[in-house]
Amino acid sequence: MGLIKHPKIEQLEQHCEEALKGTLDRMEGKFAPDAFEFAEFNEQEAEHRGYSDYSYWGSTFKVFCKNKLAVALVIAVIVILAFTFIQPYLPGQYDAFVVNNDPTTGVPLRNEAPGSLHWLGTNSIGQDLWSRLWQGTRTSLLIGLAVACIEAIVGITVGVLWGYVRQLDFVFTELYNILDNIPSTIVLILVSYMMKPGVGTIILAMSLTGWIGMARFIRNQVIIIRDREYNLASRCLGTPVSRIIVKNLLPYLVSVVMLRMALSIPAAIGSEVFITYIGLGLPATVPSLGNLINEGRALMMSPNLRYQLIYPTIVLSVVTISFYVAGNAFSDAADPKNHR
Amino acid sequence: MKKLLALLLCVCMVLAFAGCSKTEAPAASASDNTASTDTAKADDSASDDAAAEAPAASESMVYTDLYVSEVTTLNYLIASQAWDQESAANTVDSLVENDQYGNIIPGLAESWENSDDGLTWTFHLRKGVKWYDYQGNEIAELTANDFVAAAKYVMTSENESLTFDQIACVKNARAYYNKEVTDFAEVGVSAPDDYTLVYTLEQATPYFLSGLTYTCWFPAYGPQLEELGTSFGTDIDKIYFCGAYILSEFEPQGHHKYVKNENNWDADRIYITEINRIYNAEAETLAPQMVLRGEADACSITTDIVDDWKANYADYLSKERSDVMWSYFYTFNFNPTYDESYAPADWSIAVNNSNFRHSIMSAFNRAYSITAYEPDDPESIMQQTITPATFCNDGTTDFAAQSVFADNAKLFYNEATALEYKAKAVEELTAAGVTFPIQVIIGYKSGDTDWENECILVKQQLEGVLGTDYINCVLWAGPSENFLAETRKAGKYSIMRCNWGADYIDPQTWTDPFDGKDNINEETGKCIGNTYNRMDSYLWDEDKAATAPETAAALKEYYDKVAAAKAEVTNMPARYAAFAAAEDVLLENAFVIPYYTSPSSYRATKINIFDGQYCPSGVSNYRFKWLKVADHYITMDEFEANQAAWMEGFAK
Amino acid sequence: MLKYLAKRLGRSFITLIIILTIVFVLMRQMPIEGYFPNFDKMTQEQIQNGLKLMGMDKPMIVQLFNFFKGLFLKGDLGTSRIYRNNVAVTEILGPKLPVSIKLGSLALIVALLVGLPLGTVMAKYKNKLPDHLGTAFIVFIEAVPAAVYYLFIQLYGTQWLHIKLIFDINDWKAWILPVFSLSLGNIAYYAMWLRRYMVDEMTKDYVQLAKIKGVSSTGIMFKHVFRNAFVPMAQYIPTSFLNTVVGSIYIESLYSVPGMGGLLVDVVKKQDNNMVQGIVLVFACVGVVGLVFGDLLMVLLDPRISLGSKGGHR
Repeated sequence: MGLIKHPKIEQLEQHCEEALKGTLDRMEGKFAPDAFEFAEFNEQEAEHRGYSDYSYWGSTFKVFCKNKLAVALVIAVIVILAFTFIQPYLPGQYDAFVVNNDPTTGVPLRNEAPGSLHWLGTNSIGQDLWSRLWQGTRTSLLIGLAVACIEAIVGITVGVLWGYVRQLDFVFTELYNILDNIPSTIVLILVSYMMKPGVGTIILAMSLTGWIGMARFIRNQVIIIRDREYNLASRCLGTPVSRIIVKNLLPYLVSVVMLRMALSIPAAIGSEVFITYIGLGLPATVPSLGNLINEGRALMMSPNLRYQLIYPTIVLSVVTISFYVAGNAFSDAADPKNHR
Repeated sequence: MKKLLALLLCVCMVLAFAGCSKTEAPAASASDNTASTDTAKADDSASDDAAAEAPAASESMVYTDLYVSEVTTLNYLIASQAWDQESAANTVDSLVENDQYGNIIPGLAESWENSDDGLTWTFHLRKGVKWYDYQGNEIAELTANDFVAAAKYVMTSENESLTFDQIACVKNARAYYNKEVTDFAEVGVSAPDDYTLVYTLEQATPYFLSGLTYTCWFPAYGPQLEELGTSFGTDIDKIYFCGAYILSEFEPQGHHKYVKNENNWDADRIYITEINRIYNAEAETLAPQMVLRGEADACSITTDIVDDWKANYADYLSKERSDVMWSYFYTFNFNPTYDESYAPADWSIAVNNSNFRHSIMSAFNRAYSITAYEPDDPESIMQQTITPATFCNDGTTDFAAQSVFADNAKLFYNEATALEYKAKAVEELTAAGVTFPIQVIIGYKSGDTDWENECILVKQQLEGVLGTDYINCVLWAGPSENFLAETRKAGKYSIMRCNWGADYIDPQTWTDPFDGKDNINEETGKCIGNTYNRMDSYLWDEDKAATAPETAAALKEYYDKVAAAKAEVTNMPARYAAFAAAEDVLLENAFVIPYYTSPSSYRATKINIFDGQYCPSGVSNYRFKWLKVADHYITMDEFEANQAAWMEGFAK
Repeated sequence: MLKYLAKRLGRSFITLIIILTIVFVLMRQMPIEGYFPNFDKMTQEQIQNGLKLMGMDKPMIVQLFNFFKGLFLKGDLGTSRIYRNNVAVTEILGPKLPVSIKLGSLALIVALLVGLPLGTVMAKYKNKLPDHLGTAFIVFIEAVPAAVYYLFIQLYGTQWLHIKLIFDINDWKAWILPVFSLSLGNIAYYAMWLRRYMVDEMTKDYVQLAKIKGVSSTGIMFKHVFRNAFVPMAQYIPTSFLNTVVGSIYIESLYSVPGMGGLLVDVVKKQDNNMVQGIVLVFACVGVVGLVFGDLLMVLLDPRISLGSKGGHR
């Protein structure tokens, strides 16, 4: 797959070189002295032509802001994230880890329905769900962000090399076929044997398998654009590979990478739910959306206790939808074709 | 070319589909058969429901429930897990059985006698008991040789029986297992004739009969065992049955179906004619709903939904029979191996300080943390001794009521005492160079919600009484698989709830977990200690003993007393008093904190469990014989009345 | 063409062997305590004996060689140790695989039958009500964890259909909810991408030309736009089949479907090495063969693509 240089590209390169050579030959001393006239200098015109207020990030931002829904959702995510940090310091909040006892009997307040004291009620040992929900959202968002960043860094590096350096394509493709077929459960379990269960372990375990998908995605994008004319031109002009990658390829990838990252945050949160379900997740002493949802699932069949499932699900859905919509809007905005 | 490819692909697909249907065809037809029998059965049960108003003796009675843990093997001679033994308990009979109150009654043996020296037990077998295959075909008569063959199987190390230790009391059993004796005739199991079975033991064992209801003592059809070897019991066509039920369908991760063995010697008292057990990995969540829809006859109601059920479905709610087979206790780990960042060295010093241990024991409000299991009445399952109350008695006195325990109330929860101990401990430990707060690693199994909740309560409660300047409890979630190997047995905890199940009815069984003299570290040649709290490493390892002479002295007292008690095999009151004195050493020194017996959790069930066989050891509790499916769910009032009646019978 | 196929399958075969080798080695990194339920009660001798019975006392290379020898010469995957003691792996997987395949295929067929028309309708009525409704559905499926809505479907669906909560392989009605639940994710996926590809396709010049030429809009939709938009999706179908089979863990445990969805997680946790190897072999086979089938499907659907000896321009 692509190990041999594509014949068409070789042809093209030859054409380019020949054409360039031909033009240069023709230019040598073949113009008559009166072939050109001096134009009059016009300051206004010069200003007009030479100035452009185009800035890539400015335009991206402008286009993005036109999508009212996306802006609202991004603000929502930022507010949620900020709130998870502020919440414990607000007045009248319960500690997410403390079991609340009935003041008269001293017995834990189990499964209290939402009310004025505990806004979202308490769980099955009497911890305040409102506090746990925000603690959990923070944990899950941090896991999501960390996993997305690691995936992006490793995935882009590998993906670009894989896509651009033809000699590596065979190696990486075979490596991908193998790694992609190793069940991630095995990796997960091995990691959890080596490290103690916790946020770090789960981030490591998810990143260990997650970057593969990102790398393949980037590789496909790179293959699509690496042979476009402007890259061909750069190559003909002898630009070093590293410079082509950094200056030509990566900027073009910004939009798709942002989309992919925006999607991998909710995906990571979602797989945390799954990992918790199969019993390899965080201990319940570390609240996370996965833990809360799984605890809530056990109570699903009792309509009176369903609030313990509904609220974390709502937060998870809002976060997911926000990233999803915002990611799409941003990737549209980051595409220079839409900057008009 | 392309057309050819298309054609090829089509052919492939057709073949694949044909292949699928071909492999499926026989299965489908087979299941069709079962389907038709199923519907026939369903019709039966429907008419049964209609006739439920006037029940007749020979009616069919069907019981359906869900299970979470799939049987790993039907081979009851090697299996040690409860869910594996459950199937054998109902399909294979044992030499002796238990009645509702735990008394030993005849089973396959009609009578037995013990020799004067207590070493030889002779059993006279019931005649006319037959082996059946899963389709109910008669195979052969059960003889004493089947017991000998089964014992030989368990004692052959290649078969990797997990329950060998329970049968190791037979003469030369261990020698045969270790290949020191090669002739099985030298082992103390023999069949003088078809209906006489003789066990010869290594030493006199007063509780021998009570251990016989474990599956490793069960018979197995000799010729089949010989023929199949390690593949015995891997499927229903590789095992024969002689018990109350015949396992007629066995689909792992699907369902099990038991039908009544009409020819069983006890058939008159087998009321349930068909037992359907359906596998579901989420049974805890789904089963209650199935009960409400009438699709299942029983389910357990977990602590987190019990309040909701009390409010809305109170008519369905009753409880399990309380079970003293298991005792739970908190242990201090004397030989911690966990990560340096949690300062195991400091813990080692602290745990050898009597005042420190007592401060924890006195600060521990057990009734509070037991609410994670028994929200309403935590005191009802709380224990003051490691040997659970009502587990055994010496003929007159219950073990837990032995006089030596009488003054033990002072050891338990009392915040004022705890603070006194704390003050002393702080002084002594500061002098010993310990940094406060002391890190206390509390281990629990991840995924076990109730346990997790319990630990949260324990942490909060202990820190609340003793202060976070003194201890810092760290909850450590062990892996959900191989949990014990990774935590308790590896010594990776500071305090933890541990449990032990009785192997026989005698106080000696509760000293077994603390017997670790032979647990030697391969590299250093030093004793690691028992696999529970590793305390005896301070007795058998002289270097360690020198560092904590107080601990070593107390331990010496305990192990000496245990040895003395074990030696007393004829006088039961003396034996029990001796064991009680030994156990009291553990409590007085705060080595172990008694906690509770198996919580009697809430259930919705149509069965009055008090009709069934009962025994805090062996598999009698799993037996369905004698039980009846009522036409309604047992209510709490009925349960309490049944329980009271049972208690009365038990007291006799 | 056949040469290409042979080459491709040959390479897949090597990939398979490497995957199995890696999994084999990985599984043997697990602590040996995990192999013995009563590890603490065993003497060193017994442990050695146990390892010997499992063939684990030999060097890794020899173990690996024995494994492949058994696999290729006798089709023997060994026996399960913990999941179902002493039962041959093939015997355990035998009855489970058809159930999973049936469930997975049905779910995939439903997903295609519903997802593709949904995507087409959404593309045709872009930015109108059907499109918005479809988008809402897709967003819902993407956003709400499957673990949650599966439960709701089971609870209310069974009530509504008057069937039992738990699966019964012989009752066709019992298949409805598991298949439907399992297909939801794929319905959303197919609808989303088909809409996207079709919208892209509809702006292309040849569509304008066809319109000008007077081809009916339905004709354009199905003959040209749909066909072209479907090509990139076809490649995904075999992979999504595998994902459906593997990802059916929730469904299988909720409804007690005796398939192999949750099996892998279960046996990896229980350290049942032979079972893990067996299941990985099955899944990897489906995965690798799926890739080849995906390529073939593309070739069939798109006349512009050919699998020449040059290879490589997928």
